[in-house]
Amino acid sequence: MAYTYLITGATSDVGRALIERLLQSAPADTLVLAQGCGDLAKMAELCRRYPGQLRTYDVDLSDRAKVDAFVEMLAADAPAPTHFIHLPALPVVNTKFKAFDQRRFDLDLEIEVHSAVRLCKAVLPAMARAKFGRVLFIQTSYTIGCPPKNTAAYVMAKSAIGGLVKSLAVEYAKFGVTVNCVAPSMMETNFLKDTPDLIVQAAAEDNPMGRNATPADVVPAMTFLLSDEAGFITGVTLPVTGGSAIV
Amino acid sequence: MTEQEILAAVQDIFRDNFDDDSLEITRATCADDIEDWDSLEQINLLTAIEKKFNIKFKLSDVRGLKDVGDLLDLVARMV
Repeated sequence: MAYTYLITGATSDVGRALIERLLQSAPADTLVLAQGCGDLAKMAELCRRYPGQLRTYDVDLSDRAKVDAFVEMLAADAPAPTHFIHLPALPVVNTKFKAFDQRRFDLDLEIEVHSAVRLCKAVLPAMARAKFGRVLFIQTSYTIGCPPKNTAAYVMAKSAIGGLVKSLAVEYAKFGVTVNCVAPSMMETNFLKDTPDLIVQAAAEDNPMGRNATPADVVPAMTFLLSDEAGFITGVTLPVTGGSAIV
Repeated sequence: MTEQEILAAVQDIFRDNFDDDSLEITRATCADDIEDWDSLEQINLLTAIEKKFNIKFKLSDVRGLKDVGDLLDLVARMV
């Protein structure tokens, strides 16, 4: 069976590293459907390297109508995804709860959670019929134990993702569809562009391994959970934390 | 740059950060004296000071700062 990976938030540092890792050893008929928002130029190098294996889509996931249009476009133009990886998130802002505006909570929920629900509704039926599927989310170690202060909107949305993962995992287990997440500790990517350097340094220093995570730490855990051999693992949150958060 | 000039610039940053135009800081001012001065505000203050003075703190520079006096001394060493 030729695999089709639907990856949302694919233009992120993790998304691009994952695509590279998936395609470098994949059969030529493997297809990646990659969503970004206003930043598809970041995919140019991968498109050049893997001609015909990568289709890109510019979709604003904060707009439900655009998500629905994206779903319709995929249904009309692309093979049914065998794998769905949902990565989108707004860069974390460090703000006290009283200073967060409602708009930020709404946006985090739209981009991470409501889009996930709509896309899962679109892709899961075909996976269930095929008796095979892999769904993977990226959560955060902030949802394990005590979260850091001042990240309420981010932690709220990521926690909702955790609930969705567990619920889908039990509903779709009998169809051979696994639903999991990885939960990295602070990862040094463009995602931290709004986080002060001193917070990044403090996280690295406090980590038992003395550094923050990188995409190279997280992508292997993701490819494992997406692999055929991980078929009996579902509903898990796999921490990739250097020991800074332990389940 | 004199300590007075540094203090004046840091005071502006404190006033802006805590949204209090009447705030007066001295070398002895510490987190216990300003209700909203918590760990996040500390980072916000330090980030604003970095920008104002065009300097870059390391974590080891800023861990153990006890009061505004320590902060002024640190900035004076770096500008």
